[in-house]
Amino acid sequence: MGGAGYCVQGEGPNMTDRGYEKSVAAARGVRLVEEPAIAGAPKRPLIQLDNLSKRYGGHTVLDSIDLEVMSGEVVAIIGPSGSGKSTLLRCINYLEPPDGGFVTIGDITLSAAMPASSTELARLRRSVGMVFQSFNLFPHMTVLRNISLAQERVLGRSRKEAEERSMQLLKRVGLGDKAGQYPARCSGGQQQRVAIARSLALDPQVMLFDEPTSALDPELGLEVLAVMRELAETGMTMIVVTHEMSFAENVSDTVMIMADGRIVEKGPSTEVMRNPQHERTKRFLRAVHDR
Amino acid sequence: MSAADLLPILRGLPWTLGLTLGAFLIGALLGMPLLAARQSRSVPLRGLSMTIIQIVRGIPPILWLFIVFFGLGTGYLPISPFGAAVASLGLISAANMAEIYRGALASIHPGQWEASSALNLGRWSTLVDIVAPQTFRVALPSAASYLIGLMKETAVASTIGVTELTFYGNQQSQLTFRGLEVFAVVGLIYVLISLPVAWLSRIADSYLQAKVAR
Repeated sequence: MGGAGYCVQGEGPNMTDRGYEKSVAAARGVRLVEEPAIAGAPKRPLIQLDNLSKRYGGHTVLDSIDLEVMSGEVVAIIGPSGSGKSTLLRCINYLEPPDGGFVTIGDITLSAAMPASSTELARLRRSVGMVFQSFNLFPHMTVLRNISLAQERVLGRSRKEAEERSMQLLKRVGLGDKAGQYPARCSGGQQQRVAIARSLALDPQVMLFDEPTSALDPELGLEVLAVMRELAETGMTMIVVTHEMSFAENVSDTVMIMADGRIVEKGPSTEVMRNPQHERTKRFLRAVHDR
Repeated sequence: MSAADLLPILRGLPWTLGLTLGAFLIGALLGMPLLAARQSRSVPLRGLSMTIIQIVRGIPPILWLFIVFFGLGTGYLPISPFGAAVASLGLISAANMAEIYRGALASIHPGQWEASSALNLGRWSTLVDIVAPQTFRVALPSAASYLIGLMKETAVASTIGVTELTFYGNQQSQLTFRGLEVFAVVGLIYVLISLPVAWLSRIADSYLQAKVAR
């Protein structure tokens, strides 16, 4: 399965040993503790998926996926519908529990072989933010409350602290004047930016985006993409399932193409987008460009 | 027919209102654990709750009244007519409210649960902060119309001697031999009580609608 992984930046000679050490630890249910960064030492991936599988009935949606994402890396996942892109994303934070393999984020590893306890799930999700295609804001709360609620409930921040942080984030996504509005009074693009702020408010280590602009008309999509580009520039680790080819090519570091539950091709974004190697990738990109 | 013939009927009003509100309150509260059991992961609990709901809703209210008052009340568990009526109608409204809540709960977009999970809100906060407020909001119009239905249903309590509107109406019609007029007035009183309920529910609904409508 190692063949699927393209050489990503930061991969050093130590990598194989480390990967082995990690899978042994994972198999034993032992959690590795994050070692202090040593100058010059190869960086450990922030996210590591080993042999990840997901089936619905007899249908295999994810077929033993291996993936490593380094801290600060922006990965775009593209590919035809039904290829398992969204499922892969939803397995990373266990919205869909995988049927096989391991998910490692930072210093926590969950094995699909053992049902995850709610404490383990909470620890995993604690470091992962997620933005949905349909925004999923809470319609009965103001924009400000939408962003503050989880800060109070999950991080134990006081209402004042939470609201200060929310306002700061709202300004960052260009919506400082919308704090008192209900989501229904906001455009789709504004709602999605609120949803991004809501996730960022919990200080995640990685942000997952599940087709964040697919429900928006192109103009509103642009304002969301602008926020995501800005976020990428601040060094946030991001995995983005998208149909926005210019985002994949220009903003992401790595592009990964999926088809039939497998990673078909993965590599530096410009290379994959301009000079795809795999026949399936060529076909997909041709179809996209011909539109 | 004079006002003096009609005024005694009004003595039944507090009993009708008390019976309605008491039964509704019991139903609105008891409907929640009943729904929780109905949605539970445990199969026996789910079966039990479904059985209770089906049996309670399947038997006519007047029969429940007789079962509780004449059945349990004589011997096992001495109970006043009013107590028996509140208990029976409360039980019936619990089953009905559980069904109303269930319909409302089913209308909550799955994305709300997913966003709550992704934000790590936990079961309790997801329920209390996210799902319950939206469920009550959706349930409001059905609950209000059920409240009006329940108010009319309280008339059956006259059969076991609860001195509510219909009981006094019956008494006055026998005293005055003016059944048509007396019962028309009793009917009018029921209509007059239902009006503010319907009106309030519509106002609350349109207020909430304006806030959250897409």
